[in-house]
Amino acid sequence: MVDLFHNLALGFGVAFSPINLMLCLIGALVGTLVGVLPGIGTIATVAMLLPITFGLPPVGALIMLAGIYYGAQYGGSTTSILVNIPGEATSVVTTLDGHQMAKQGRAGPALAIAAIGSFFAGCVATVLIAVLGAPLTKLALAFGPAEYFSLMVLGLIFAVVLAKGSVLKAIAMIVFGLLLSMVGSDIETGASRMAFNIPELADGLGFATVAMGVFGFAEIIRNLDAGAEMNRDLVQQKITGLMPTRKDLVDSTPPILRGTVLGSILGILPGGGAVIASFAAYTLEKKLAKDPKRFGRGAIEGVAAPESANNAAAQTSFIPLLTLGIPPNAVMALMVGAMTIHGIVPGPQVMQKQPDLVWGMIASMWIGNLMLIIINLPLVGIWVRLLRVPYRLMFPSIVIFCAIGIYSVNNAPVDVILAGVFGLVGYWLIKHDFEPAPLLLGMVLGPLMEENLRRALLISRGDWSVFLTRPLSAVLLAISLGLLVLTVLPTLRAKRDEVFTESEN
Amino acid sequence: MAETVGHSLDQTQSGTERHISGPINVLILAVAPQIFQFLWSLALLILGMATKNPLQVLADHIVAFATALRWFGWALTFLPDLVPTAISALFSWKSSLLTPVFAKIGGAPPETWLVLTYSYPLLIVGALTFWLKPRCTQDYYGGIALMALALFALWASSDLQGMHGFSFGAGTAPRMFACLLLALGAGIAVIGLSSNGPNVAAYHWRGPVFVSLGIISFAITIRPLGLVLSAFASFMISALGSKETKWMEALIVGAFLTLGCSLLFPYALGLPFQLFPRFLIQ
Repeated sequence: MVDLFHNLALGFGVAFSPINLMLCLIGALVGTLVGVLPGIGTIATVAMLLPITFGLPPVGALIMLAGIYYGAQYGGSTTSILVNIPGEATSVVTTLDGHQMAKQGRAGPALAIAAIGSFFAGCVATVLIAVLGAPLTKLALAFGPAEYFSLMVLGLIFAVVLAKGSVLKAIAMIVFGLLLSMVGSDIETGASRMAFNIPELADGLGFATVAMGVFGFAEIIRNLDAGAEMNRDLVQQKITGLMPTRKDLVDSTPPILRGTVLGSILGILPGGGAVIASFAAYTLEKKLAKDPKRFGRGAIEGVAAPESANNAAAQTSFIPLLTLGIPPNAVMALMVGAMTIHGIVPGPQVMQKQPDLVWGMIASMWIGNLMLIIINLPLVGIWVRLLRVPYRLMFPSIVIFCAIGIYSVNNAPVDVILAGVFGLVGYWLIKHDFEPAPLLLGMVLGPLMEENLRRALLISRGDWSVFLTRPLSAVLLAISLGLLVLTVLPTLRAKRDEVFTESEN
Repeated sequence: MAETVGHSLDQTQSGTERHISGPINVLILAVAPQIFQFLWSLALLILGMATKNPLQVLADHIVAFATALRWFGWALTFLPDLVPTAISALFSWKSSLLTPVFAKIGGAPPETWLVLTYSYPLLIVGALTFWLKPRCTQDYYGGIALMALALFALWASSDLQGMHGFSFGAGTAPRMFACLLLALGAGIAVIGLSSNGPNVAAYHWRGPVFVSLGIISFAITIRPLGLVLSAFASFMISALGSKETKWMEALIVGAFLTLGCSLLFPYALGLPFQLFPRFLIQ
């Protein structure tokens, strides 16, 4: 306990330095700004804004990125409520009741409850990260290469279970990602793999390049298909009375609590984190409600629960990253990319060697959430105005901004072309109903998996049974197998599909 | 990765026509790497860069197709031995069991390998597609494209060392993942054949073409022309991607965006960008 307070004090000491406060504020603001733009999800936002953190010191860069991340989350819920376009997957369910509330002229309370729920969840999750961080790091030290490999298999299986649509297709996307990660130089022998003598490929495909192509450019191209003038159901009346009534607060307190708990648990699991958390929280509220018919017609519980759940999950998903060095979802994968650029290898060592960095970031999450609630409620008017910018002007601007962003990562024009190619690949994936998020996760975990697989087999002298004879690894593999079997089973499949279809209509 | 360019463009076209065009697109996909290499060498020749003669490239590929066909007949006589050894050969570099096979084809040029591992299997799949009626074209062609990708990766990693002793070589993991993807792609294609599902959604050409052109023009011009011209030009090109673009409006927004970017990236963020064309600075 003393350790905990000591660590948090250290963290707040770092995060409260004026420059870091400033970075946190800018990150949260810019994140919200981009997150509000429809058609740009959290992943694309983080990928797009990655370059603006390059010139900063590592602590500042991570604080800013974390700010961008939850700013984007928050921006996503704003568009869900006001325009009925979820800015990203985690706020899909928020559209159901949030937009209905907005239509009834209660956009203000909906936004306020979303912000309050997110803030509360953020507080709890911050404490949870601080509490769980140290013991999990100790656990991580007991992990050998075999255990790491099995853990990553489990993570990928979770990503499959939590992805929507066909299980086979999700697995195929992961393997596609693993294959893409093989491009570049081999870690051990230095042999050039599948690089076709293109010097820019010698270092492998960058995450940011692929992410921007598959999530940024592909989204733009797809939106253009629908005609630039998307059907925007923007709430036209002026938003008055931001503050929720006493009844709203009383009604939404239990959902916020339940959403926070559910989100925190689901966020730690590798795989889907925030997305599934919001779906699950919404479904739970609907099941518990005395009058489930109110849901979808502007029930405040339907905003409070998923918003707190996705924010809790978004933050607790930092736990596997900071303690084990394994990114649990695509956004965290980009964080790994960002850390590597700053010369930090995420994992148990970081927590011990650079405590100021880890705890500074954890503390800044709390501060960031506080800032979001303070700055965003008054700024809602600006966000609404931003939403009125027609798409025909917005899309070329996003293209240019993305192109400049990718170029500035390595100053390599080839990267820009590659991102364009991956944009077309992403467009193709969308047309064939393949989900791109598992692809990115596979791509990030690929090198880690290969390295640990190689090491485990080298230590066991080529004996593949090492994954089953080491107890921890066997348990992890057994869980993955069990999950996979459960997902394919018809009854659970139907349930899983139900959860996802519910969110779409 | 040069391959993906040709590949994804083929795919972009594949949905626009109806049923009969599907198998033809698979056939085109099967020879896409060869076509791409030919066009690439042609383009380099026109640009005046010293490279392989395009006709030579074409001839090499045609020879490769013929050689590979001869080997198919030759391999058929070997079939009982070949299947088990071929599986082990995926993971072990020139396993001793395969010595007779490698003695014959070991020194083959990469073009022949490409035909053997990529083109012929896909040509067969494409030919089969004429007969089959996939019930869910979205899954069927999706699966086939993943198979194509896996086969191509198998070829691209064929020059890498496999297992030696109990330690992995550089090529082991890529081949392992490629085989896995091949199996998954085949599984998806089979599901697309047998169970009902949605067909491929219509592709539109306008958005993808102009957005891609905008991106390419940015990549080509950023070095010689600098940020200002390059960003503005690609803004205008990508703006063509939508029918609703109004010219005056786009010009004004483009100019302001360019101004904003030229202030933000080099000055506010301190990233090394050259703003104006090189020849103006000198």
